[in-house]
Amino acid sequence: MRNIGNVEIQQLTLGFKNFGAVKAIVEDFSLKFDGGSFTSIIGSSGCGKSTLINAIGGHYKPMAGHILLDGCEIKDPTADLGIVFQQHTLFPWKTVRENVRFGPMQRGVAKGEANRIADKFIEMVGLSSYASYYPKMLSGGMQHRAEIARALANAPAVLLMDEPFGALDAQMRATLQMSLMEIWRETKVTIIFVTHDVEEAMFLSQKIVVMSRDRGRIREVFTVDEPFPRNKEQLFTSHYGRALKEKCLGSLAA
Amino acid sequence: MRRPGLRAARMRVFRSRGEYMSDTMSDCTNQEGTRVMSKAARGDHDSSQRMARRLVRLKARVAEIHWQAIIIPILSLVAGVGAWQWLTQSHVQFILDFSNIPTPVDVFAALRAVIVTHVFWRDIFWSMYRILMAFGLATLVGVLAGIAMGYSAILRLLIAPYIEMMRPIPAIAWVPMAILIWPTTEESIIFITFLGAVFPIVLNTWDGVRRVPHELVKAARSLGANRVNVLFHVVVPYAIPNITLGMALGMGGAWFALLAGEMISGRFGVGYFTWESYQLIQYGNIIVGMLTIGLLSSVSTGSIYYLKRKMIPWAE
Repeated sequence: MRNIGNVEIQQLTLGFKNFGAVKAIVEDFSLKFDGGSFTSIIGSSGCGKSTLINAIGGHYKPMAGHILLDGCEIKDPTADLGIVFQQHTLFPWKTVRENVRFGPMQRGVAKGEANRIADKFIEMVGLSSYASYYPKMLSGGMQHRAEIARALANAPAVLLMDEPFGALDAQMRATLQMSLMEIWRETKVTIIFVTHDVEEAMFLSQKIVVMSRDRGRIREVFTVDEPFPRNKEQLFTSHYGRALKEKCLGSLAA
Repeated sequence: MRRPGLRAARMRVFRSRGEYMSDTMSDCTNQEGTRVMSKAARGDHDSSQRMARRLVRLKARVAEIHWQAIIIPILSLVAGVGAWQWLTQSHVQFILDFSNIPTPVDVFAALRAVIVTHVFWRDIFWSMYRILMAFGLATLVGVLAGIAMGYSAILRLLIAPYIEMMRPIPAIAWVPMAILIWPTTEESIIFITFLGAVFPIVLNTWDGVRRVPHELVKAARSLGANRVNVLFHVVVPYAIPNITLGMALGMGGAWFALLAGEMISGRFGVGYFTWESYQLIQYGNIIVGMLTIGLLSSVSTGSIYYLKRKMIPWAE
């Protein structure tokens, strides 16, 4: 547990006003994320997961309630809240290295130092030989890896990931999950991971939060007691794993 | 179509033998062939072999050129000029009246006569000067206005009615107003040209700014960029293809407006030259003027596309 990267959501309501009528996407949502923890949020499509992640990232203003990062209210997007989106958001006119060093350079770090930082994170995600490539030359998985490196190069306190591996094939997804585990172990950043894949949530996270379609209410919070490093086969074939998966799926379907 | 296996087999034989085989090499037209050639021939300093190597490389390059793309347009132009020569020489009068039109030979003679005069080059200089001034101003004003409209809904609502009202007015209709408003004729011509160029630039810039994906802006802000940095590092680079398209269209509009202004205001310029040739019944010079205008216009538009390719190789 770290002393930074604690996110606290207090009675959050997210929605929009439509000609006077208020439509709430997420209503009265309260949750705490400890610093350095890995939490997954799962739920069926349209329950407000992406909206919640965007709000934590500071991109949506809450209608009511507060989101606190280490006690301070989140008003605008900052470099402390790194986001990895489902869509590809690499800057197409920059190479991978230039993309990854974008964050440090915005902070004012000199170009040489920024290059060094960028190369370190590019190596961490395994793209060292592609550092000078433009995004259009890379495959989908490589672009996602580059985006993760770019978000991490800023050393954020919290890493928000909105279904980042959703559009990838199973093999690439497995590779990236292992990379993510490594990165989490090394950098100890708080990760809030949105996914609709129960197995992925079980494998990666310490806590699983199930959101419902009914205004994003939290149905249940599951704790995954399996110690790290985890083994997929072992986890999913064990009695504990299978029971947990049943419970999660049941909670989702309810 | 040679099978790749065969070519690879030849390569292997060549490499293992380590000597230059002219028959095999002439068949291989890919880059690998030339690389292997130079590697194996590094030991030789025989000049005749070097000559033969150059010949083979030349043959390879010649074979790579897409000859059809060059010959067919040239033949088409030659046929067109030939038809023109025949129509005008025979004074054909069938629906269209070609009896007074100069032949290509006359045009060429007029060109030779005028290209050595000081006046012709002075006119070209003045036209290019006006285009550059007006186009430069139009780019500056147009890009700023387009970005402002893309960012602020209020500014868009304020500016848009003027754009929509002024855009369809043709350049010729502006001439009397421009002459009245501006103190000198030169300024009025540049103003008319400016109006011809600015509207495509504003609209395309605005469209480009509007199209920036929201996720890209969100990603930049979550990386620590403030709004100003987002504008310069995300919005403008993303909108550059649209901006350059607007500039290319604006260049065409600028030429159109410039010629209208020059013809009527009457003060140097290629348009003035063309119009004056009509007044002086020098029909050969009219066509010389038209061709000059076409050449200058396509060169200036082409240079914008060239600039775009240099600036943003990633957009191709």
